[in-house]
Amino acid sequence: MTKKLAMAVAALALALPGTGSAQVKIGFINSITGPEAPIGENLTNGVDMAVEDLKKQGVNVTLVKQDDTGKPQVAMSAMEQLATGDEVAAVVGPYTSATANAVAKLAQQYKVPQVVPAAAKEEITKQGYDWVFRLNAPAHQYAQSLIDAALTFGKPKSIAFIYESTDFGASVAGAGKDYAQKKGLKIVADEAYQKGAPDYRSTLTKIKAQNPDLVFMVSYVADAILLMRQSREVGLKPQAFLGGGAGFDTAQFEGEKDISNLVFSVTQWTPESSKAATAFADRYKAKYGKKPTYHAACAYAAMMVVGETAAKNGGDRKKIRDALANGSWTGIMGKVDFETYEGFTNQNKLVMPVIQYQGGKSETVFPKEAAQKKAVYPFPGWK
Amino acid sequence: MIVFLQSVLSGLLVGGVYALIGIGLTLIFGVMRVTNFAHGELLMLGMYLAWLAFTGLHVDPFLSIVLVAPAMFLWGAFLQKSFVNRVLGALPQNQILLTIGLGLIMSNTVMLIFTSDYRILTTTYSSSSYKLAGLSISQPLLYAFLITVAITGALYWFLLKTDTGQAIRATAQDRDAAQLMGINVRRMSVLAFGIGSALAGTAGALISPTYYIFPQVGSTFTLKAFVIVVLGGMGSVVGATLGGIIIGVAESLSAVYIASGLKELVTFVLFLALLLFKPAGLLGKTRA
Repeated sequence: MTKKLAMAVAALALALPGTGSAQVKIGFINSITGPEAPIGENLTNGVDMAVEDLKKQGVNVTLVKQDDTGKPQVAMSAMEQLATGDEVAAVVGPYTSATANAVAKLAQQYKVPQVVPAAAKEEITKQGYDWVFRLNAPAHQYAQSLIDAALTFGKPKSIAFIYESTDFGASVAGAGKDYAQKKGLKIVADEAYQKGAPDYRSTLTKIKAQNPDLVFMVSYVADAILLMRQSREVGLKPQAFLGGGAGFDTAQFEGEKDISNLVFSVTQWTPESSKAATAFADRYKAKYGKKPTYHAACAYAAMMVVGETAAKNGGDRKKIRDALANGSWTGIMGKVDFETYEGFTNQNKLVMPVIQYQGGKSETVFPKEAAQKKAVYPFPGWK
Repeated sequence: MIVFLQSVLSGLLVGGVYALIGIGLTLIFGVMRVTNFAHGELLMLGMYLAWLAFTGLHVDPFLSIVLVAPAMFLWGAFLQKSFVNRVLGALPQNQILLTIGLGLIMSNTVMLIFTSDYRILTTTYSSSSYKLAGLSISQPLLYAFLITVAITGALYWFLLKTDTGQAIRATAQDRDAAQLMGINVRRMSVLAFGIGSALAGTAGALISPTYYIFPQVGSTFTLKAFVIVVLGGMGSVVGATLGGIIIGVAESLSAVYIASGLKELVTFVLFLALLLFKPAGLLGKTRA
């Protein structure tokens, strides 16, 4: 077991030679309480594991955790506290798009390197902020991967969008609408909903009346299950259900076999993507008793990169920023390299795999290189 | 036409459950003049109890209300006796602080025990529906609605026909006069809070198969319950029933004909408009 652990750590070790022990102070802003807390917990777990692994490499991280309760204004005061009060070397987080975007402005202002682990809103790395880095893929990747996959599997003509009216939902759906138009798909419905409402039946009935070939949904956690349950109730039956990550990419959704079967989703990370990733997933499962979500993996990877870089540069913010911008790392998320391209600044280019739930298990089906199973298309109908 | 009928139907069914939440709140307010800001948290406790009964004892969530309702009644009575009773004559802001505080303690305790993970209750009929002339009727929602109707009926009967019920109504009408007539108003307060909590808990158990369960779920419903109660008239049980149905149908229709994201807005505009013309609510009486 120790050997296995050591191997895993070695695999995860980034380009750092085994120097003596170094002390760094890093801030971590996350939704620890509040409505986003269930996903936030995964990020906390990931970061905690990274801190342990860093310690094994001789990097002692003093982690300053701040709770943003999912609210941008709270996240901003947390950032101010970290930047001026705690004087951290760098900041990892926050989780949601709205909070991460609000904090980015302050990171730039206080000149504190910020690494966003899992927020998808396009703008975050599109404002030319050279102190802000993003590890995960931005919103348009979600939509592009899914629509590309659907167009490869079949010949859909029309598409309906239903998404929650948050920064994340609106950015993914917005990017999806642009891309769908570019690909010649007809947009027959465009429904933003208020999250947490118990009843989407009327909206789904309206979409059903349009008879779309594809239904594209974006939602956090449990709304995804509700949407699919109610889709089944009203008998919505497109050629494919496309779930834009987040709630469609959780172990809980996967477990709801009746409704998750044959739904497509897109993800930042799968445990099967590499040996290091599988090893991480096994250790995570042993420690927390559940499968890691991509949030946990992103947070872990972000913390590893930041921890090592900060230790190497003795906690100097300017040097850390330069090292982040110029370096590259390999870990559980594959290669991490913050690049500046197509209007993005310090954005890691990440290829998002498309998965399909088949009999209660997620299988990677797209792109071809990564596919493990053949996709089932079109959707044969509800049982 | 199908779309219209479908949205009215699901609005009605959801509204029924909203009504149950509102009735509990209005009863508490009517008898004690205390606005219970912990109402949503009581509903949340009901959800967790139903979930525990389902996962631990394999009791169907709809049957579990025979366990949830008495448990929540006792809990409510306890809260009333030990906390709420002390602020009955106090300033409204003190009462608000107390109930908000109780709510926070409840939701955070639940979070400590069960973590903040979302729990989903999956029964065999969770996503099943009946088909009727092109309309689909959600099975779990229909059961919840029918049970709500039965409970509301029983409650009406209790309040109108029994001595205790009449005593509760008398206390709600005029606390001092009721006391002079020999009614034990303290006991009525405990009863009212207990019944209110039991109703909130029951509503929680009833929606647990169609919704999801997490410690902060209460706040959504507290707000909704307030709109329902104020819309129907504070303290009026019939008003709360009506208010619940109206809000349910309004939400459902505006989601289809205006925009899903704006349905809350529509409810609140409707609410404000009504208050503008009838400040006491639909069936409320202005108090001197």
